[in-house]
Amino acid sequence: MANKRLEDILRLIALLQDVQHSSANPFDVDILDKILVLKKHLPDWEFLDDLLLDSQALVELSQVVKLQDQWLKHRASSLYIDPLLVQLKVKLLPKNELAAAFVKSWHPLAQIDQLSPQGLERAFVYWRDLAPMSERFKDQFGSYGTRPGIVDYQDLVDLKIFTQDQFETRLNSIDDELKLKSGEEWIDYRDFVKGKSVDETILRSYILAFLISEGRAVIQIDPLSNKISVAWVNGKATGEAKSVAIPVGDQ
Amino acid sequence: MVTNSMEPERALLERKVRKSFQVLILQRGRNPGVKGWEMKRHLGKDYKKILEVLSEDIAPMGLEVYQVKGADGSDDSTRYMLRFKEPPSLSEAETAGIRIDDLAVLASSIAFINSKQGRVGRRELEQFLREKFPKWRVEYSVDRYVKRGYIDQDDKSLLRIGWRTRAEIDERTLMTLILSRSGEIPSS
Repeated sequence: MANKRLEDILRLIALLQDVQHSSANPFDVDILDKILVLKKHLPDWEFLDDLLLDSQALVELSQVVKLQDQWLKHRASSLYIDPLLVQLKVKLLPKNELAAAFVKSWHPLAQIDQLSPQGLERAFVYWRDLAPMSERFKDQFGSYGTRPGIVDYQDLVDLKIFTQDQFETRLNSIDDELKLKSGEEWIDYRDFVKGKSVDETILRSYILAFLISEGRAVIQIDPLSNKISVAWVNGKATGEAKSVAIPVGDQ
Repeated sequence: MVTNSMEPERALLERKVRKSFQVLILQRGRNPGVKGWEMKRHLGKDYKKILEVLSEDIAPMGLEVYQVKGADGSDDSTRYMLRFKEPPSLSEAETAGIRIDDLAVLASSIAFINSKQGRVGRRELEQFLREKFPKWRVEYSVDRYVKRGYIDQDDKSLLRIGWRTRAEIDERTLMTLILSRSGEIPSS
């Protein structure tokens, strides 16, 4: 029963808010009926929250009454014209006729939008005292990040993502794994780099890119099938080096 | 003797009228016009009389001082501005770089909002305008007119006539002109 009462009042608030925030006719709301609903439930409210909801509903009701007042005033003014007639007229009139009607009722504002000597002086002082971008938000956000660029091995070590030893170990382990799986034959690149997680796949791709850059492995891309293959190289690869970007991590 | 005693008063009035013109003509902040409380600060408590004198003085130049009541209807919130006494011609508006399409969108929007008791959902207005204007122009224009104060948009995307429309446009004339012009019914 209490739930039903609560539901009633919440529904009433939602309805009143809808009327306020749409172009609906505020006279669609039967104010007297809604007040009677609130009056009926008022003795049953026990908690402060319920009473607050009751007063919110009253406030919303008063807003709708205010809208009804505005609606009546507008309707009584000469600005009120049947919406369908206006829509029909606007649809039928050519653009230049509409523009001409607008211009004939238009009194443009006259103003000068220019900098005064005082404004110019204020702007100069502001600019003179303005700290460079790199310094401005240092206190709140620290120093600015660098622009997009290449992260090399030394950067990763500096960022403490790898230590020197860890990197060498992973590099050798991938080299051994490739040697084992490929044995100088072409194998599928994506199968090889695929790890247990996206993070691991990215890490394996990154390390393999190092091996390829050093000439310890080679890569080829079939332009027709887009198949990417990789092979381990005994010794060091020769030939012209070429940079290729391969998206990983979303496969 | 009388003339001599009137001289300082006259000079003061002229100075204040000059000052009121300067205050009104220079744009301060984003929105044009100056509020009543600012006028009082610049010109003193008799600012309304000074503005009346100014309005008469600038009439030969085709300008007038116009006031728009604020939301609370008080003198302090009333906004004063200088505006053209007579509307420009269509070719003058075009020479000023205003496109006919833009004017037509604004005229249609004002007429539609007024026909809906002064408030309409943004989606409803855009849907109405799209029957006559391309979609990209409708979205762009409505955004622009909201920014410029011709249309007022609340946080629920409900549109009302903005303060600038009240200041610049004689809505009654606009509605009458739209209704009195005859458009041809398009053949299907």
